[in-house]
Amino acid sequence: MIPVTHRASLSYLLRHPWQLLLALLGVAIGVAVIVAVDLANSSARKAFLLSMDAVTGEATHQIIGGPAGVDENVYTELRVRHGIRSIAPVVEGTVFADERRLSLLGIDLFAEGELRSFTTDASAGDDDSGVEALFRSLLTEPGAVVASASTVERLGIMIGDPVEIIAEGRAHSATLVAVFEDAGGIDDLLVVDISTAQIWLGRIGRLSRIDARLTDDEAVERLEEVLPNGNRLLNAAARTRTTADLSNAFMTNLTAMSLLALLVGLFLIFNSMSFSVLQRRPLIGVFRALGFTRRQLLTMLMLEAAFIGAVAALLGVLLGIVLGEQLLALVSRSINDLYFRVSVTSVDVELLTVLKGFAAGIGAALLASAVPAIEATSYEPRLAMTRSSLERRARSALPLLAIAGVATMVGSAAVLAGSGSNLVAGLAAVFMLILGFALCVPLFVRVAADLLANFAGRLAGTTARMAISGIAAGLSRTAVAIVALAVAVSATIGVSVMVDSFRSSVGDWLEQTLQADIYVGVDRGSMDLELVQDISALDGIVEVSTSRRAWLESEAGQTQLAAIRMAPGSYAGTEILDADPAEVWPAWERGDVVLVSEPYGFHSSVGPGDVILLPTDQGDREFCVAATFQSYDVNSSAVMMSRATYDRHFADDGVDAIGLYLAPDVDADTMISAIDTLGAGRQTLRIASNVSIRRISLEIFDQTFIITDVLYWIAMGVAFIGILSAMLALLLERIREFATLRALGMTPAQVGGLISAQTAVIGLLSGVAAIPLGAAMAWVLIKVINRRAFGWQIDMVVTADVLVVAIGFAVLSALLAGIYPALRAARLHPAAAMREE
Amino acid sequence: MTAPSIEIQVRSLERRFREGEREHVVLDDVDLEIRRGETVALRGRSGSGKSTLLNLIGGIDTPNAGSIRVADTDVTALSERERTLFRRRHIGFVYQAFNLVPTLNVADNIRLVLELNGVKHASADVRIAELLDAVGLGDRGASYPDVLSGGEQQRVAIARALSHQPAVLLADEPTGNLDDQSAEIVLALLDELVRSMGGTMLIATHSNSVASYCDRVIELHNGRFESDTTT
Repeated sequence: MIPVTHRASLSYLLRHPWQLLLALLGVAIGVAVIVAVDLANSSARKAFLLSMDAVTGEATHQIIGGPAGVDENVYTELRVRHGIRSIAPVVEGTVFADERRLSLLGIDLFAEGELRSFTTDASAGDDDSGVEALFRSLLTEPGAVVASASTVERLGIMIGDPVEIIAEGRAHSATLVAVFEDAGGIDDLLVVDISTAQIWLGRIGRLSRIDARLTDDEAVERLEEVLPNGNRLLNAAARTRTTADLSNAFMTNLTAMSLLALLVGLFLIFNSMSFSVLQRRPLIGVFRALGFTRRQLLTMLMLEAAFIGAVAALLGVLLGIVLGEQLLALVSRSINDLYFRVSVTSVDVELLTVLKGFAAGIGAALLASAVPAIEATSYEPRLAMTRSSLERRARSALPLLAIAGVATMVGSAAVLAGSGSNLVAGLAAVFMLILGFALCVPLFVRVAADLLANFAGRLAGTTARMAISGIAAGLSRTAVAIVALAVAVSATIGVSVMVDSFRSSVGDWLEQTLQADIYVGVDRGSMDLELVQDISALDGIVEVSTSRRAWLESEAGQTQLAAIRMAPGSYAGTEILDADPAEVWPAWERGDVVLVSEPYGFHSSVGPGDVILLPTDQGDREFCVAATFQSYDVNSSAVMMSRATYDRHFADDGVDAIGLYLAPDVDADTMISAIDTLGAGRQTLRIASNVSIRRISLEIFDQTFIITDVLYWIAMGVAFIGILSAMLALLLERIREFATLRALGMTPAQVGGLISAQTAVIGLLSGVAAIPLGAAMAWVLIKVINRRAFGWQIDMVVTADVLVVAIGFAVLSALLAGIYPALRAARLHPAAAMREE
Repeated sequence: MTAPSIEIQVRSLERRFREGEREHVVLDDVDLEIRRGETVALRGRSGSGKSTLLNLIGGIDTPNAGSIRVADTDVTALSERERTLFRRRHIGFVYQAFNLVPTLNVADNIRLVLELNGVKHASADVRIAELLDAVGLGDRGASYPDVLSGGEQQRVAIARALSHQPAVLLADEPTGNLDDQSAEIVLALLDELVRSMGGTMLIATHSNSVASYCDRVIELHNGRFESDTTT
């Protein structure tokens, strides 16, 4: 039998379905966003790790070389001369088939042994299946490829079908000879014989790496001893983890955004719970008079909150799984654009994520309900509190709340100042800032509403005064709604200012960096060196710059190296941040001197005059850092080296892209056509003018922030529900007041207008309150969060239109949320309302 | 001397409310005439239909059958908006629960009705001062309702109800929430002010002392008039 207090509780909730629904929605949406972001992040990361595991197989270590890879003779030496059997050579890269980006894995089937299981699971057809068939096909058929069933299905081919593969900008004929069973991590992967991969990827005689299965330390030491200079043995799992960790900052930022949605939901449930407690004050008084202890009633209210939290969390988790599927596409696209290739199509629901959702939902509901529940049960039973005395208590608490708010904001500043470059501490400081600010908002609302009420009274009469003074009079309710909307709007201001500032900085940077008129490169590959020479010799080209990007790997992690041959006069394209360019560039061209990107400098605490160690083909070498240069590259570990220096340390003549400087009278489009013609039949080139690269770069930038947009619109949606809920609560509480106004002769339109005016002012106050918080959030996001996450320095740009739009948006959303309550008040039948009372 | 004209005329009035499957008749074929300047007490038990009749006369409710004329206007023939405007101009309401607007001070509660009737600010100030003096609250204009006693709140409600000099004042248990002493003060005040304005007053009550202030007492039982006595 359910105790009578719980039955009373349940009955109350069921008799107020709208109120219950709004509270459920607020928490459910917050939980849904958390679950969705968590699922999308973990699914993308898991998919990446799975694919790495599949490709790495049983290998415990990997032998890697410099930018040009490992000489294949190293493999032969190790196997034949030193008798190390548990090793297998790998050539990998990126290719395209039917415009779909695929990973290419070139393996030596004889050496595979027990390293990769999927190579033994392939089927070449009904009548001719098994490993032998696969061996035969891969070794004897030129361009023989094997792929997973789902990849084959996406490409629309069957065994025996020809398929055109584009690698390094060149087309190759291939034939599908076998299909793997679908298994985790082998999506969008083509497996070929190693020699085929070497031909397609232009790496004759070179290997991407040598996988090794080393079971004990002795084996590791033995291999290290015989490894030629310039090659190194790395732990395979650590290498995978380092790559996956590249996206950590990106994922942490997304999680922070999802917590923001829950925070706004928290205000909503606070509003709903305090209203439901307020409505039952007389009942609570009766229960107390009958002999219920405070603890019993508090338990009743908190159990009710836990029940709402649990139901909302259940809804939120289900909604989150659906939302997660949508978000996954956005997250994986951003990760693909920014970090590493990941192929993932469906979310993988983990128990931990579900538990997180439930903990967030129930925790938020309990937290938000604790204050009204404790407050309501703290009175003597005889004190059947009136609304006005409650409001008086609320008003008297305002200064204390504001002091607590200021203290929290000071605490936030202290956390920022004392947490070095810790990203999580930075995000915690953002939430402290929001909380501190939220505590100050009620006092602001009180003061502003009083001032506005007097002003409105003088300007538009008693009705206008009544509309606005109603906001301050119902502060216990309106303030929470205003806080919720202000926090949501401030998030839009903060994020908009951050994105605008970032975009503006990136735009300026691109403008400065893209000095050449035309850029030529190959999609995911290196350029044909003869073609580079032919293009450079075209009439109308005055200067040529070249670039080569390579990842240098060591036990310490990955470093992206850019080897640049600058065109004379193009040095100004790289902004030197902390040294004299006139001294930096000559030294950079001559000796073992490098520049480090601003993110690299920030994360590694490296600056001018410092020495860094880089793995070269001759082993680790020291390079002097001449200066830091500005860069908005997401890979936060870029080192820039002159091509001459690069050539001294690395046996790699590859060129990824060239920049062409045209004579003044040469038309860029004409030149692009000429280069296209020159490349025809030799290599598919990507040719773009600096203008189009800038445009495309900014398009990618905008796409990256779509997720941010989605998340803050959800926060706005929750705030919208908050305002709607608050206005409905006010309407229910003041139903007799509105009925009286109707009896006194106010028309339905006037009563509706009164509520609309009130909601408009609520929106206005929210918008105004959101500006300082939004600006502060933008500053923290730009100067602290982005800096700590990515190491970028961004100039903060605040435009008036962002602020105007934010205020307009707050007023509009409040007005929209007020439409239904206003219509209900207008349709109120005064006699019926009086009778119900 | 000619007899005062009829201010309120009710003919064959019926008001029914649906309660689930059942229909509850609150007023059943009621006829009533009240002359201008007359004060009438409607007496009866709870649920006898007193408040419903007041609401119908005041135009905040509509009958199922019958007609109501107030101040030469057929209220039952008016649209919702017309009834509101009619009520605004010609009717004053006083409720048992006072129903002051808690977010407005005393003066603004009265000003609200004056503004609705288009009275200019300066004129409204004068009228508010007069009314507050008349109800003995000349110094409480800036006070908010929640700091006033019940009797004081009801005096403000009376001042508000009479501020626009309505033809008809409808009072629903005006002393129901007051102690005997406050009730006496409020009734005396209502009687004095309405009579001095030459207004017509209809008071719903179940108190004998309230009825003693009125010219006529009508007993209502189960939605029908049982007696109509001139005092």
